[in-house]
Amino acid sequence: MTSSPVDPSALAEARRSHFVALFTALAVGLHAVDVLLPSPLPWFRLGLANILTLVALFLYGDRAAWTVTLGRIGIGSLLLGRLFSPGFFLSFSGGVCAVMLMCGVRRFFPRLFGPIGISLLGAVGHVSGQLLIAWLLLVRHPDLWRLYPWLLLAALVSGLLNGFVADRVLEILRRHPAFAEEQG
Amino acid sequence: MAVSALWRRMTLGDRLLLFVLLALILITLPVTRSQGKGARLLVEQDGAVLYAAPLTASGRWRFQGPLGESEIEVAHGGARIVSSPCPHKLCIALGRIAHPGELIACVPNHLLLRIEGESASSHDLITR
Repeated sequence: MTSSPVDPSALAEARRSHFVALFTALAVGLHAVDVLLPSPLPWFRLGLANILTLVALFLYGDRAAWTVTLGRIGIGSLLLGRLFSPGFFLSFSGGVCAVMLMCGVRRFFPRLFGPIGISLLGAVGHVSGQLLIAWLLLVRHPDLWRLYPWLLLAALVSGLLNGFVADRVLEILRRHPAFAEEQG
Repeated sequence: MAVSALWRRMTLGDRLLLFVLLALILITLPVTRSQGKGARLLVEQDGAVLYAAPLTASGRWRFQGPLGESEIEVAHGGARIVSSPCPHKLCIALGRIAHPGELIACVPNHLLLRIEGESASSHDLITR
């Protein structure tokens, strides 16, 4: 068995890894924009980078979503000088919870939710994971949970927004021949 | 319209999830409203508490110190010193305090005003 340069599966694999790398790079960029944007509420972030996680998840599946998220958090924190700071651990646990929830729900109910629903779940997972780690590591005060409804409200807004954008991006990408044979 | 475009792109599951989330938020949000209660003003002199009352109790009070009488005012959920016999009037210049943890000290007249309560508005940490 030899694989020629035009072997379709090798080509698809190369294309896949290139696009996952591109999505990760774009996610790092959006993450930086997100952090640098002035926000009226200091704890409210749009989570724009999740758009790329959603796109990777819907085009390439679980592993790509993990690569984009973990890569984005690692590289993004390194660039912004926040690697291994307390905020980094909140960001990390939020990201892990978000991807776990998104991948889990998509695996067990593959047809129930579209990108917008999965985005909402990701946003909810993110704030839940953050608050959980904040509770475990930083502030053991029951009043911390009073923040939860407000965080959920923020998650609702940003989840809808990111889901909408991800949905449009997916629609445009799927029309492109490079993504024609990827899963729906 | 962006909203109707958004709605059209949502699956049945997405819409259900949105409603469940909205309901959850609407149910749990009133719980957060009891925040900030229990903020009390304490006036102390040499470690002894002269006055302790909720910040909602407005009024003016006078306290005798080594230099003379200081007058404090509690109004609109905050407290300040309005007159003091001390030489530099720094305690008056410190202005108004309203949040748990804040304090005004008048060292010459041995008076300490502080607000006690669960601090709700301060941030321990900001995540990004």
